[in-house]
Amino acid sequence: MKNMKKIVEMEMPSIPDSRREFLIRLLEGTATATVLMVFGPGASAHGPETGISGSLEPAKHNYAYIIDINKCIGCGNCVRACKRENSVPADYFRTWVERYVVRADGVYVDSPNGALEGFEKLNKKFRDNIQLSRTVPKMCNHCHNPPCVQVCPVGATFKSPEGFVLVDHDYCLGCAYCVQACPYAARFINPVKHKSDKCTWCYHRVKKGKLPACVTVCPQKARLFGDLNDVESEVSKIFEKDHWMVLKPEMHTDPTCFYIGLPREVV
Amino acid sequence: MSNPSPKAHLVRLAAVLVGVLVVFLIIKQMVVPDSWNYEEWYREGALALNASEPLAYGGNESCAACHQETNDELAEFKHKALSCESCHGALADHVTDGVKTAAAQVDDESTWQCLNCHEARVSKPEGFPQFDKVAIKEHTEIEEGMLCLACHTPHDPTP
Repeated sequence: MKNMKKIVEMEMPSIPDSRREFLIRLLEGTATATVLMVFGPGASAHGPETGISGSLEPAKHNYAYIIDINKCIGCGNCVRACKRENSVPADYFRTWVERYVVRADGVYVDSPNGALEGFEKLNKKFRDNIQLSRTVPKMCNHCHNPPCVQVCPVGATFKSPEGFVLVDHDYCLGCAYCVQACPYAARFINPVKHKSDKCTWCYHRVKKGKLPACVTVCPQKARLFGDLNDVESEVSKIFEKDHWMVLKPEMHTDPTCFYIGLPREVV
Repeated sequence: MSNPSPKAHLVRLAAVLVGVLVVFLIIKQMVVPDSWNYEEWYREGALALNASEPLAYGGNESCAACHQETNDELAEFKHKALSCESCHGALADHVTDGVKTAAAQVDDESTWQCLNCHEARVSKPEGFPQFDKVAIKEHTEIEEGMLCLACHTPHDPTP
């Protein structure tokens, strides 16, 4: 036993040295990479993660959009208003409504023409044995950490100082990277402009003190828009007391579009 | 004839690199927009571009500017929570620059605008007033193709 230990010591004298070297190099590499990531040229380009707000004035507003599933009747007023307000071409939608039907044999989803004209009645045979059915409005979630902004090669899509995820139509190439990156399928290539298009939370309206068009026309107040920094606003009050949820939390996009009464079947 | 300097190739290489750098900087100067925000990585001019889109919907306050009486009446009505434009169409289709250009569109020759909200669907919330198509048919049997508006006032549709 004593001999064996001696042999080991004799045969591999360089191992502790090389390991130390290896570790030192590894540390150096990690430190360099970290420094580059934090202070490097592209570090602050894409995200709130770095905590750098830059030269912009600190956000006065913290806008949020709240959708109450228990109030939505699937009338499609929002879809029609959005189309008219933003001149969205036929067959494309910035917002749409999906109908979820949960049965013992599975979950069925339909959205005929984006619910532009509401929903047809389900046939009798299908209507029996329904466990749950809800209409779920969908749109851009205006994420705090938007994947679409990260992938844009020309910086044509961005998060505005007020928190809106917008598209710079003058610089968009129409490459559709963002269309693929969006986990909520909220983006499309506008067939008229050949540019990326999406819900802007009606930025042009909010800037003029109006509500987004879909919120304006919703007969059930199922769609609400407001400022969470204003404690008196309707959204703040709902946000405080209700159990809100977001779509696809596992994507870590940190949406600012909150759902109330979202059935767990909804994706 | 003297031999070329042994470092001539390095000088040439440096010259080429400087040339490339200059061309790169010139191109960069030309293509980067003036209002480029390096912190957040976007063109600040795009904010104004987005904000310049025209408005189509005005909200109830725009309607009240001319239709104050109707607006006041509505406060007591069943449909008071509704936006005028939900049924009457967008403001921009009715008024341009404060001048009426066309009659506000409302479909009073069919029942679809009523039924769009009030026809029964399993997906609608339980408390919402909704009516089955068969029940509606029995209810309007008096006359063929009878409209809801024949009896119900659209602003205050009490039974």
